[in-house]
Amino acid sequence: MNNDNIMLKISGLKVSIDDREILTGVNLEVRPGEVHAIMGPNGSGKSTLSAVLAGKENYKVTEGEILFEGEDLLKLSPEERSWAGVFLGFQYPIEIPGVTNVNFIKTAVNEHRKRKGLPELSAAQFLKLMRERMAYVEMDSSFTSRGVNVGFSGGEKKRNEIFHMAMLEPKLAILDETDSGLDVDALRVVAGGINRLKTPENATIVITHYQRLLDYIVPDYIHVIYKGRIIKSAGRELAQEIEQRGYDWLIN
Amino acid sequence: MEQNYIYAPALTSEFRCKVPLKETRQLFIVNGKVQGGKSPFSLRLKEGEVMKEMLQIISVRHKSYKEHLATQQDFHFGKGSSGKIIQCSHTFSPDRFRTTEKVTISLERDAVAEFYIMQNEHNNAEHSTSYEVNLGAGAFLKMVFLSLHGGVIRNDIFLDFNEKHAECDLAGLYLTDSKQLMDNNIYVNHLVPECNSNQLFKGILDDEGVARFYGRINVAPDAQKTEAYQANHNLLISDKAKAYTSPQLEIYAGDVKCSHGATIGRLNEDELFYMRTRGIPAAEARILQQKAFAYEVLEKISNTELRERMLSLVERRLRGEFSHCSTCIRNCC
Repeated sequence: MNNDNIMLKISGLKVSIDDREILTGVNLEVRPGEVHAIMGPNGSGKSTLSAVLAGKENYKVTEGEILFEGEDLLKLSPEERSWAGVFLGFQYPIEIPGVTNVNFIKTAVNEHRKRKGLPELSAAQFLKLMRERMAYVEMDSSFTSRGVNVGFSGGEKKRNEIFHMAMLEPKLAILDETDSGLDVDALRVVAGGINRLKTPENATIVITHYQRLLDYIVPDYIHVIYKGRIIKSAGRELAQEIEQRGYDWLIN
Repeated sequence: MEQNYIYAPALTSEFRCKVPLKETRQLFIVNGKVQGGKSPFSLRLKEGEVMKEMLQIISVRHKSYKEHLATQQDFHFGKGSSGKIIQCSHTFSPDRFRTTEKVTISLERDAVAEFYIMQNEHNNAEHSTSYEVNLGAGAFLKMVFLSLHGGVIRNDIFLDFNEKHAECDLAGLYLTDSKQLMDNNIYVNHLVPECNSNQLFKGILDDEGVARFYGRINVAPDAQKTEAYQANHNLLISDKAKAYTSPQLEIYAGDVKCSHGATIGRLNEDELFYMRTRGIPAAEARILQQKAFAYEVLEKISNTELRERMLSLVERRLRGEFSHCSTCIRNCC
């Protein structure tokens, strides 16, 4: 493999919160075009890893580094990471009453364009793009005028996350438990949206508890995280094995 | 309707209001003197009379009179009548104006009235208004206060339910910065059964701004089936801003639904982080949050054009564009 082509490189990452060490030394390399799945039992550090990648405060990196396209990601604010092309899909998307979904995503898209030196989209251009991208996740237009995630069902919130991703076209999407709380139909729609956004240039990290998401989103690599470190990395066949045997055989 | 007011276009050259709104008449009161009409201002709607246009009453303090001003406005809505009033108060210069105002509002049986009160004065101004409200059977009154700017703004509301099945919806949004003081005192008096009252007051306090809220709901022994709700929420933007809130319920009847809630908080960090992960810069995200916080009050404004205008004023205020207000005489409204 070509080392020059690494999009994300996590080396020896140790992270603490309130003096408790959650990540105890994570190493991971992601290249463009790849889909990585990170699996593991509850409390193993999956969500901490995604939060640290997105720049959430209160997490203290005590050792190691994260390079994104060769740059120190940890030096960037959450919004700077977003502009650089990192996207975090939340496990529990936040409700923001009073901010309509359309205003929210329009503000976000235009902030991204500003950083790229592009002019703001006209109202017509924006609407066209929005309609097109909403169709990726079969969202109807009534969602645009509602408050961000307010009164959305679990499935609607996750579809909204993928809609945001579709609008922002990140290089690296980290999807934290995107499958949690989804029924089969919603899972199919959400996964369909994610697959549609896949290109040879971008990469995806799906964090999941269950194998079932991986029936829809086929990963190139699967990593099992336990007690804050990756204890096993393998190809997609590992998911089947975990489904059948659980995590115990890996842990012991 | 008694026609004791006229449109006074001469003033608008000095007063750069983007008004009037569509289907709105304007009336100017300068230093307590009704322009082109009798002072003090009074409006009486006859039985069944429906105001076709909104009436915007713009009270300004002008430097030609710098003494303490005591003034009054009276509104009487006859049986089944209805109307919408916008009351604006401004100071034309940063002088030490003191204004004490009394406003009486009475609604007879089945009358419906909406009052939108916009307060935007300089930092040296001190404006205290006392509203005396009486509601007859089946009457409905909505009051929305938008206290945008002013050195000291005090609103006292004394509202009595005198007959059954009346309802009131009181809402307020107050924004303070520098050393401004906002003081809301609300007394809702359920004297008779089967009336509903609702209060929602929200404030965003920056710098060393201070807000006081005192809300008393009194439910008399006979006032069964009363529904009375009250909420006061304060958002502190700076470390030095202060909010004092005292919600009070005095209930002497058994079969009622009442609640009160008061909070003093900061911007939600989870919301902030969520917005930032989508590329919205922290400062912009905070403005969005504040607008969202304010929106719950502003959405009570039924007229779309007025609501949009108020929203944009609030946004400009939150972006700090009013910070020059202590010297400016543009009197945005």
